[in-house]
Amino acid sequence: MFEWIQENWVTLAVPAAVFLAFCIVGLWARRVLYKRLNKLLIKSGWGGREILVQTSRGPFFFWFMLLGASAAIKSSSLSDEAQALAGRIIGSIFIISIIWLLLILANRLLNIFLEEIKSPKPPGRFVTNGVRVTILMLGVLILADYWGWPLTPVILLLAAAILIAVVAARDIILNVFSGFEIAAARNIREGDFIKLSSGEEGYVTDMTWRTIRIKTPDQHTVIVPNSKLVRETVINYGHPLKKALKPFRFYTRLHLKELTGLKAGNLTELVNILKSAPDSVIYYHTHHFLEEHQFLTPEPSNDFALWVEDSLDDHVLSEKLANIDTFAYFSLADLKSTIVSVIEKYMAANPASKKAKAENAFHFIKSNSVVIPTPYFASDLREFVEVLRKITIDSLYYHIFESRLRLQKISNDFSVWIRDSFEENDLADKIDGLVPYTSTIETMRSFIIQNIEKRIK
Amino acid sequence: MNVELKNRFKTKIDDYEPIVGRNVIDELKLLGNHLQGKKVQNINSTYSGGGVAEILTRMVPLVNQLGLDVSWDVVTGDDAFFDVTKKFHNALHGRQEHITESEFDIFLNTNENNIRGMKLDADIFFIHDPQPSALITQRSAVGGKWIWRCHIDVSHPDQRVWEFLNRFVAKYDAAVFSAPAFSPKLPIRQFLISPSIDPLSDKNKELSRGEIEAVLHKYGLDPGKPMVVQISRFDYLKDPIGVIEAFKMVRKGFNCQLILAGGTAKDDPESAEVLNDVRNHADGHRDIKVLLIPPGSDVEINALQRAATVVLQKSLKEGFGLTISEALWKSKPVVASAVGGIPLQIINKFTGLLCYSVDGAAYALKQLLGNPELASQLGKNGREHVKQNFLITRHLKEYLLLFIALNQESDIIYL
Repeated sequence: MFEWIQENWVTLAVPAAVFLAFCIVGLWARRVLYKRLNKLLIKSGWGGREILVQTSRGPFFFWFMLLGASAAIKSSSLSDEAQALAGRIIGSIFIISIIWLLLILANRLLNIFLEEIKSPKPPGRFVTNGVRVTILMLGVLILADYWGWPLTPVILLLAAAILIAVVAARDIILNVFSGFEIAAARNIREGDFIKLSSGEEGYVTDMTWRTIRIKTPDQHTVIVPNSKLVRETVINYGHPLKKALKPFRFYTRLHLKELTGLKAGNLTELVNILKSAPDSVIYYHTHHFLEEHQFLTPEPSNDFALWVEDSLDDHVLSEKLANIDTFAYFSLADLKSTIVSVIEKYMAANPASKKAKAENAFHFIKSNSVVIPTPYFASDLREFVEVLRKITIDSLYYHIFESRLRLQKISNDFSVWIRDSFEENDLADKIDGLVPYTSTIETMRSFIIQNIEKRIK
Repeated sequence: MNVELKNRFKTKIDDYEPIVGRNVIDELKLLGNHLQGKKVQNINSTYSGGGVAEILTRMVPLVNQLGLDVSWDVVTGDDAFFDVTKKFHNALHGRQEHITESEFDIFLNTNENNIRGMKLDADIFFIHDPQPSALITQRSAVGGKWIWRCHIDVSHPDQRVWEFLNRFVAKYDAAVFSAPAFSPKLPIRQFLISPSIDPLSDKNKELSRGEIEAVLHKYGLDPGKPMVVQISRFDYLKDPIGVIEAFKMVRKGFNCQLILAGGTAKDDPESAEVLNDVRNHADGHRDIKVLLIPPGSDVEINALQRAATVVLQKSLKEGFGLTISEALWKSKPVVASAVGGIPLQIINKFTGLLCYSVDGAAYALKQLLGNPELASQLGKNGREHVKQNFLITRHLKEYLLLFIALNQESDIIYL
């Protein structure tokens, strides 16, 4: 053995020296280059600097070792076939090391990026795995090419697989990329109240890689695909406002007219029937006009005034009856007494009562009311104002005007809730001040919405 | 005979959203939720022609979409039966009719035959008008709640006919009338529900200029000459002769044309005679066109209403007069008699002009033909009025409320 070394030491020493020389150069180059690279990256302020430097330091030296090994083999006395085979093995190791480095770098850098854009976990994992698979596939293709294996069938197979995957998961892909767009834009966060141009609205409760969940004011959860969200115009009202201890439940009151069969042809008959009429009759004749003809402004205040004017042609009494402010009364019984009293006083002073034509008799109608809870709740003023836009005029009427009869005071359900829950007394007072005689219910709806919007801006 | 509507009506309840708003549709669904699965059987006397059939054609599928199980049956009868019921109709409107005992028997026997041939199976039976009213005699056998839906004005009926019918009506749980003045004294609950028009029906949907002109061309009408249009079936109670007289007065001062267009209904054997009479009265006047429109020509009626300069409805008696709402929905100025349900639709000088005579009709027509600004303002107000009170969505809501109220005596029902 010793003899063999003595005879061939030059054949061994030259490749070893070459290999060693490359190692030394590698160590020197790494020190110099990484020093400069580090300075450059520090200047740029890039967050991935440390990862890039630490991850690539080891492989950098390893590549010099591979270079040294390759040069050593070339300078050795190995046969041409053996040198070619060794060269290919070293080349393959080099390719694998590059792929390995890219895998680690991509993984670590993506993690930093995803954290930076606060991406939800699932899409992050999806992208990381996607990048890994892509790099691995590239690596396999490069290696195959390097070894001279036929690539066309592999590429075709891969292309077909990718195509099938893309077609099958096109919605998912679209949603995932939209999810990134949403996350990167940072315009929407969990807890925001958003409204889509397609009508969906509510608080964002969850953002995932494919969808956004919204809790609507009618207590439903709407799941909006991210791809839809990026296509729609979205109004973001921002984070939740102060929450009320007790959410506001919206009701509506619908009316069915029931004929009592009673009719009056003159004032005496009118007042006699009125005296024994139930509240539901008084309610109908003092409230229905505002709802049925709510597009008319100004409106007659009650049916009695209208009938006295149109059928009895008595303008003075009609004015007296019209001047009774229906909404100043907390009970229908009190309202009835006032109407009866006004007519009786007038009759005492004007005993010659006129008679209406038979076809113009006053028909007493009573209101059958059905009170229904709507699906809408509001726990803050944002939800409240958005529900206000949706509810019917029946619901508005119920909460603004009928409430006086229930609350037994000059206020309404909206003002009471706003005052009790948020101590927004000015806002509540403004709503209290609404009168139905000078504007339509739709105008009132706009007025309330505008005032709340102004307050919560 | 059961009326199958599945393939005839494709409108969805949500299709009304652009017209009445989402909130109104939501309210209907809310009510529907409280009545899920309730079986309602409508019974009337014809499946085509006239306002009742028209309303049911559209109403039944819509109520089904809201979760109720609604069906529609038609009583069958021979010509003698419909002759009698036409006499009933006139008599209930207050016209003198000679009805013999045997004719009353025809009515009872036909109802008996229908009881034998019809499957009565529902939670609520909704009986329309006098023709099938005697079906109530089966109440004890089939149970359920029974509603008599009266579409005509029975405030001043012929007492003999009314007393005969009242034997049946008084056995119902409730009656429904279209206007307060229509109802007589009854020992049962009476509700007030106005009928309605369907803004998406062929009769009321939007039409293009081309479609309107094609109809005018078809009937040889001059699109350049102002048109006074009355659409109604040929019936003396619609006063077509009075319309011609009023038009002749107007024509002296205004270069315009009169279109009297309408059809006949299976349950109205008198209409052919009226049509002949009208044609005789119109004979020789080149500006008076009498058009017999076959059933199902809703687009043509729509086009004629839309082409009208003024729409006239000079009825002597009227159930509700839905042609008024149809015209108002098209923003047309309307002149109409103050009868039946018309004053509910025409608020005088605000949504149209009311008249009480041929002279009054002529005067009102002249006002509108001579003052297009006033005509336009009345038309605009009229459309708003109809939108608020006479669209099918309001009608649907009230029917659902009625079904709920039937089981409750209280004035306020909390659901």
